[in-house]
Amino acid sequence: MKQLDAPVVVIGAGPAGLAAAKALADGGVGVLVVERDEAPGGLPRFCRHPGFGWAYTRRFESGPAFARRMLAALDPARVAIETRTSVLSLEAGPTLHLLSAEHGNLHLRPRAVVLATGIRERPRSARLVPGRRPERGVLTTGQLQQMVARGVPVRGRRAIVVGTEHVSFSVLLTARHAGLKVVAMAGPEDRVMSHAAAGLLARAAGIPIHLSTTVEDIEGSVHVEAVTLRGPDGTHRIACDTVVFTGDFVPDCTLFRGDDVDPATGGPLVDQFGRTNLPGVFAAGNVLRAVETSGWAANEGARVGANAAAYLDAPAAWRENAARIAAGPGVAYVVPQFHAPANGMAALPVSLRADRDMRPARLHLDADGAEYWRGNLPSARRLRRVAVEADAFATLPAGRPAEFRFD
Amino acid sequence: MTDAYDIAVVGAGVVGCAIAREFSRYELRTILIEARSDLGDGASKGNSAILSTGADTPSGTLECRLVTRGHARYLAEAPALGLPFLATGSLTVVWNEEELVRLRAMHDEMHAAGFRTGELVGPDFIRAKAPHLAPGAVGAIWEPEEGIVDPFSTPYAYALDAVTNGVAYRASAPVASATRHGGGWILDTPQGAISADIVINCAGLWADRVEALAGYADFVGRPRRGQFLVYDKSARPLLDTIVKPVPSPTYRGILIAPTVFGNILVGPTAEEIDDPDDWRTTREGLATLEAAAHRLIPALARHEITATYCGVRPGTDRPEYRIIPRPDANWVTVGGIRSTGLSGALGIAEHVAGLVLPEMKRAARKARAVPVRVPSLCAADARPWQAMMPADRAMHEIVCHCEGVTLGEIRAAMASPLPPRSLKALKRRTRAMFGRCQGFHCAARVQAIFDGAAG
Ligand SMILES: Cc1cc2nc3c(=O)[nH]c(=O)nc-3n(C[C@H](O)[C@H](O)[C@H](O)COP(=O)(O)OP(=O)(O)OC[C@H]3O[C@@H](n4cnc5c(N)ncnc54)[C@H](O)[C@@H]3O)c2cc1C
Ligand SMILES: Cc1cc2nc3c(=O)[nH]c(=O)nc-3n(C[C@H](O)[C@H](O)[C@H](O)COP(=O)(O)OP(=O)(O)OC[C@H]3O[C@@H](n4cnc5c(N)ncnc54)[C@H](O)[C@@H]3O)c2cc1C
Repeated sequence: MKQLDAPVVVIGAGPAGLAAAKALADGGVGVLVVERDEAPGGLPRFCRHPGFGWAYTRRFESGPAFARRMLAALDPARVAIETRTSVLSLEAGPTLHLLSAEHGNLHLRPRAVVLATGIRERPRSARLVPGRRPERGVLTTGQLQQMVARGVPVRGRRAIVVGTEHVSFSVLLTARHAGLKVVAMAGPEDRVMSHAAAGLLARAAGIPIHLSTTVEDIEGSVHVEAVTLRGPDGTHRIACDTVVFTGDFVPDCTLFRGDDVDPATGGPLVDQFGRTNLPGVFAAGNVLRAVETSGWAANEGARVGANAAAYLDAPAAWRENAARIAAGPGVAYVVPQFHAPANGMAALPVSLRADRDMRPARLHLDADGAEYWRGNLPSARRLRRVAVEADAFATLPAGRPAEFRFD
Repeated sequence: MTDAYDIAVVGAGVVGCAIAREFSRYELRTILIEARSDLGDGASKGNSAILSTGADTPSGTLECRLVTRGHARYLAEAPALGLPFLATGSLTVVWNEEELVRLRAMHDEMHAAGFRTGELVGPDFIRAKAPHLAPGAVGAIWEPEEGIVDPFSTPYAYALDAVTNGVAYRASAPVASATRHGGGWILDTPQGAISADIVINCAGLWADRVEALAGYADFVGRPRRGQFLVYDKSARPLLDTIVKPVPSPTYRGILIAPTVFGNILVGPTAEEIDDPDDWRTTREGLATLEAAAHRLIPALARHEITATYCGVRPGTDRPEYRIIPRPDANWVTVGGIRSTGLSGALGIAEHVAGLVLPEMKRAARKARAVPVRVPSLCAADARPWQAMMPADRAMHEIVCHCEGVTLGEIRAAMASPLPPRSLKALKRRTRAMFGRCQGFHCAARVQAIFDGAAG
């Protein structure tokens, strides 16, 4: 069981975790990647449609192809992957409690950990959608994709897709594999949240998109029988046997609790080097916030993995003099949430989300009532990533709490 | 071809399962007949999961007596069955002087009726027991003997015990007609006819319909729906006891309580409905509960809701149990077990056995019962995966990550002598897919395992 005492443990074998493992191995560090699923690859493993990895690989592949490419890039002499293994707890140390199908209960004490546990979608219940609870036919995108990927019969013909995010439109492709006809899309916002073109294509394919619309009722006992939508022109009932709740992602961050989590993102609080509140524990990928593309998640993983390797070489004081970067007016959240003095590690790009649509948008970084940086953007859309150039912090004095705000 | 039994119990809710278990201790041929594919799929699957002492049921009634007895028997018999009981105690809390007067009266009535464990307490005590409760409570009755149980495993454990000890079980067998035959009855089901000397109607929400099959119409079903919210396990540290309002004779009000699975539950509402099959949550109902949750424990506003559900109480036109023996007709009605049946089941079972056994000539008590134990789903209990070296490696492979349910546990549930016949029954047996992601991660795999095992 040599691999189990690797100096670094990566939790989660999705794009972020695998990229972190590669960066660590490239830095000469032995890594154990722990994955609770039966196979590594993360969410892309179940997504057959193209569009994965671009920002990392400059290729536009299907999810499984991207996952295979990432796995093939790992040096088996340095990286061990333990699947069917769940991390049950992560405490100071860092110490880990693992449950492995092969090895049973394990307690590890690596020198560093990279948390890359990804995201999930909010299910129907968390969205307080009323109605019956049929046994079959109420799905999330993730569940539908896994059913198709695992060959589990979906047993439906007519589906309604709730949500108009990018992922909502990916359901149109998955549905085809499942033999499902999408009869309508519906979203609470007053516009399509994905690219306008996606909406146009769907409508051209004959799929009505109901905006400013919520699900008012679900009927059926064993299988879904109908869904009632409430929109600007009242309610209407649509016969269907499947309803897919899409988007509304949240980080899968149960290993971190309380003060170590940013209530605005639902993910761990990190500085620009990916360091969490727990000394020795880094985090990368979508666990930081929902939701980025797989390529972005992989890039974060690569940088944070390299940082973890650098930390093993020179375990500097953990997050000394790091200052809180707060989300001020108009800003839903900022990642990273802390800014530490430069230390030779690679910084993650700073990104934030506006809490409403703005056109144009003026962004400020203030500290002590003074402005340190200003950016003019043609527009900012609600909960869409706003990337901030690295030089935003160039003049900010170390250790000074600051705040991003929109005009 | 008619299968012949001494006793036919119609309906495998918690009440029917407890009654079948009671008769399994005697040299009798007993059958438990269930309309649906799975037991515990009616009123028994959607409740507050509180084991009441009976103190807050109308004193002097049969309901009060049987709930008290059911509570005592549960405490005595549940541990051997593997069923959990968390002794959380309960606070019946009031928020103003007017309510305080009612609370004092309630306390005095309880003591007069012989329930002496409930004690009047003030704001300091309340704060110590429920530190996250909103400020402003002026008083409460602290009832140390009330607690929480597992509503899903309870009917299952009773049924498994019954079947292990010789009771026949037939599911997917709605009784469609009841015909007098000799001294007894012939019950027609899609799975064949069943003859029985004595029929016990435990059809819960549908009991009035089964009564009608035999020509009885002593009561009318008045189903009352109750909706619930279940908060994420992250909220569990906010509450360690049951907090409830002063009940009225017909509505016990919205309570907030921990669950044995490690969540916080808020509910129920009370809505009269016409159709006992109208199991629907509503926007208003859920909004009412969310507002109540935030009012009672403001910190809940920062936690996710894991699930919403509803249950339907088998109420009738009178606010009481409708247990009607008909010695001349060999038919016993056990209806109207409205909002205390989970607590009362073992008391009801004993009572019904007492009504029936004197009529049975061969009703010798068996020397021994074969012991039965179900796996505990209680968050406070040890899980099979905690064993360093389980007999089966699949006990170390988690499939449902939110609830920590292993492949081995799912396989064991499928291998039960009473296997789940539907995914939702598998959920109730194992908690797979019951957690915060509601199957985002595991439902596809769980279904593949289920389909594989169910063939
Ligand atoms: C339906 C859907 C469609 C998408 N479509 C696209 C697209 O077209 N293009 C695109 O670029 N991106 C897409 N994405 C987003 C993409 O999947 C994510 O950006 C990417 O997967 C994030 O990578 P990650 O490594 O952060 O997390 P994940 O891929 O989620 O990987 C996390 C891994 O951690 C494991 N894990 C979690 N907790 C534990 C634990 N306690 N112990 C052990 N292991 C654990 C999980 O099993 C999982 O394998 C889509 C996402 C979804 C859900
Ligand atoms: C909102 C709510 C909250 C509650 N809270 C609590 C609580 O905290 N504590 C407590 O003790 N109790 C509580 N209860 C009450 C408790 O749930 C019920 O009293 C109990 O479940 C009733 O059980 P039952 O077996 O009588 O009925 P059911 O569970 O409805 O069982 C009847 C069975 O009969 C079957 N059946 C029907 N027709 C036929 C037929 N023709 N042939 C064969 N089978 C048939 C049905 O399918 C069903 O399985 C609550 C109830 C509700 C609704």
